[in-house]
Amino acid sequence: MNAIIFSAIWGVLMMFTGAFVQSKTLPKYLAITGAALLFLLNGIELYNGTPIFNINGMNMLAITSMNLTFLEVIFAATLLFFMLSGRDVERVGEHVSEYFALIFFVLCGVSLSSTYNTLLLLFLGIEIMSIPLYVLTGADKRNLKSNEASLKYFLMGAFSTGILLMGIAFIYGGNTNASFYIDQIHLGVGKMPVMITVGVVLLIIALSFKVSAAPFHFWTPDVYDGAPTVFTSFMSTIVKAAGFFAFIRLFKTSFGPVQGQWQNLIVFITVATMLIGNVTAVFQQSVKRMLAYSSIAQAGFMLLALFALNQTADDGIILYSAAYSLATIGIFAILIKMNDYTIEGFNGLAKQQPLLGLVATICLLSLTGIPLTAGFTSKFFMLTAAVENGHKFWVVIVAVIFAAISAYYYFRVIQAIYFKEPSSAEPVIDAERVSGSFKILLAITAILILILGIYPEILIGWAHH
Amino acid sequence: MDFFFLQVQAQNSAENYFPIVIQILFAIGLLTLMIFGSDLLGPKRKTADKLQNFESGIEIKGNARQPIAIKYFLVAILFVLFDVEVIFFYPYAINFRALKWEGFLAVVLFVSSFLAGFIYIFKKGALKWEE
Amino acid sequence: MDIKAYIALSLTLFTTGIIGVLVRRNAIIVFMCVELMLNAVNLLLVAFSKMHAVSPAAKASLTYASDAQIFVFFIMIVAAAEVSVGLAIIVMMYRNTHSIDVNFLNRLKN
Repeated sequence: MNAIIFSAIWGVLMMFTGAFVQSKTLPKYLAITGAALLFLLNGIELYNGTPIFNINGMNMLAITSMNLTFLEVIFAATLLFFMLSGRDVERVGEHVSEYFALIFFVLCGVSLSSTYNTLLLLFLGIEIMSIPLYVLTGADKRNLKSNEASLKYFLMGAFSTGILLMGIAFIYGGNTNASFYIDQIHLGVGKMPVMITVGVVLLIIALSFKVSAAPFHFWTPDVYDGAPTVFTSFMSTIVKAAGFFAFIRLFKTSFGPVQGQWQNLIVFITVATMLIGNVTAVFQQSVKRMLAYSSIAQAGFMLLALFALNQTADDGIILYSAAYSLATIGIFAILIKMNDYTIEGFNGLAKQQPLLGLVATICLLSLTGIPLTAGFTSKFFMLTAAVENGHKFWVVIVAVIFAAISAYYYFRVIQAIYFKEPSSAEPVIDAERVSGSFKILLAITAILILILGIYPEILIGWAHH
Repeated sequence: MDFFFLQVQAQNSAENYFPIVIQILFAIGLLTLMIFGSDLLGPKRKTADKLQNFESGIEIKGNARQPIAIKYFLVAILFVLFDVEVIFFYPYAINFRALKWEGFLAVVLFVSSFLAGFIYIFKKGALKWEE
Repeated sequence: MDIKAYIALSLTLFTTGIIGVLVRRNAIIVFMCVELMLNAVNLLLVAFSKMHAVSPAAKASLTYASDAQIFVFFIMIVAAAEVSVGLAIIVMMYRNTHSIDVNFLNRLKN
């Protein structure tokens, strides 16, 4: 509750800063303050159990420690993102304050979509999350690629919203309780009523669109490639994780009891997502585009939580969001500073910038899922959850095989960083773009990845608080 | 406290819609009468000047389908945004009494967020015509 | 009237919208088709709310059948917000390329 209200207020504040204050650096510091306050206020609510702003929400919000822990992870990732890449947001265009304002509005949508208890708030949360992103994708107004990505994202997003709403309408029609509350959906006795079945299928399609799961992923590489790189970093981590969390919560609360009737569809989507994401990523030359496909591949792993739908999966999705966001934000923060986005551009990074090379390696190892990194523990949680589910054991084997394939394209970058000579005389990264504080923050990111890899209980403990 | 957008009646029969049918018939009848009546009764003088399109007395300036300045789009977009939000006043107007002061405060908050948006676009110069 | 008639009408509109999105090339028409999809949903929601309002089970439960009608308002508002963002994006696109053809969107493929 704190987070929803505060992020909206702070977004408006940032908006007005853009209109009334002519400073280029102030917005960044304001945004960092805002993210820190969000983290703090949400932490207080998680710790005390009572929000500061107590509004009668007619039970439309489910404020549980699990949801708040997830939000805490999101806000921590946002804070890190602002501190690492705030300087690069300033370079996108002239409306710096508005970009941050839009990010705060996205955070408001994230807060709604991870605490919703009715389908109405699910819809509103997802929309509040998406609409600012359409604008952010097109933030680089003169760049045709950015324009194109924005229009494509917008059309696809609006299309999937239509499907989502149709699903909601059918579920409402089939629900004899005549309710939008997700815990009051009457699934009937025995087989599901036809209208609810149609609704469930439409919801799966629409939410797969939003989290870019195959076969509804086709917009993702283009949009992630065309958007300004800072915003790609934001939307491929924080927003995607929030989409997954909303997806899983809906299906666990409302349709968990009849999982047997829709599990096959999820299995198909999971395997297709892993297949397409991993296999296509192998052939990419641009690291930015490779990371876009890798985000599809990681989405396949997160879908295992939807396949498993048990307590371990709940813990796993929070851990996975944290691990994936940390590693991706870290690698993107380095990528933005590079002069050349192709894999050859990384050649000899370790010689010129040893720390950056090391952190990039740790991030990539975490994305692969090498032990001692957060990526390993989170993948381990997901696979355990899928085994505990007890059905279709072969999905677990397929997931492990694809995790091994993913090592190929991540290790290609690591190889370039450590074992290749720079392809041209000019430096890989302009030294003046790498400040001391940036290095310290990157080191902190790497340490966080290692800590989560060794003691995942820290995070899981909060969720059961 | 029951909030209803529409006070739905338990049994809806065709007779309940009878007044609406009467009103529609009356509206159509009146329109037909006025249009054809003025056509039949009115005097007619067809000259070139009279058959021209009426543009408030100003001389006609070519075709209307010409590229329009981008400023019009901006204003149109902002209009759509602010216009449609008014829709939330309808349910409030129906439940005005039942919602008491709490509801009033909510609406004030709602309107003030509009105002914030309006101040923002005003300050940003989105409504400025001359440059 | 039977609820099936409403479902049929709304699904027809919805499918028209989907086909339009997939087939048409003009960005504004694609966008109008999306709006058609949303309006099909609005129609269906209102029809369902009317259907539930007379069913005894819904009356007994805690929630109100008019929820769906409020939902329709929210859909309209969100659609308006989407329209304004979408038109702004299309205008931006037009200023740069002087075209609103979606076939033009292939610069990102490799």
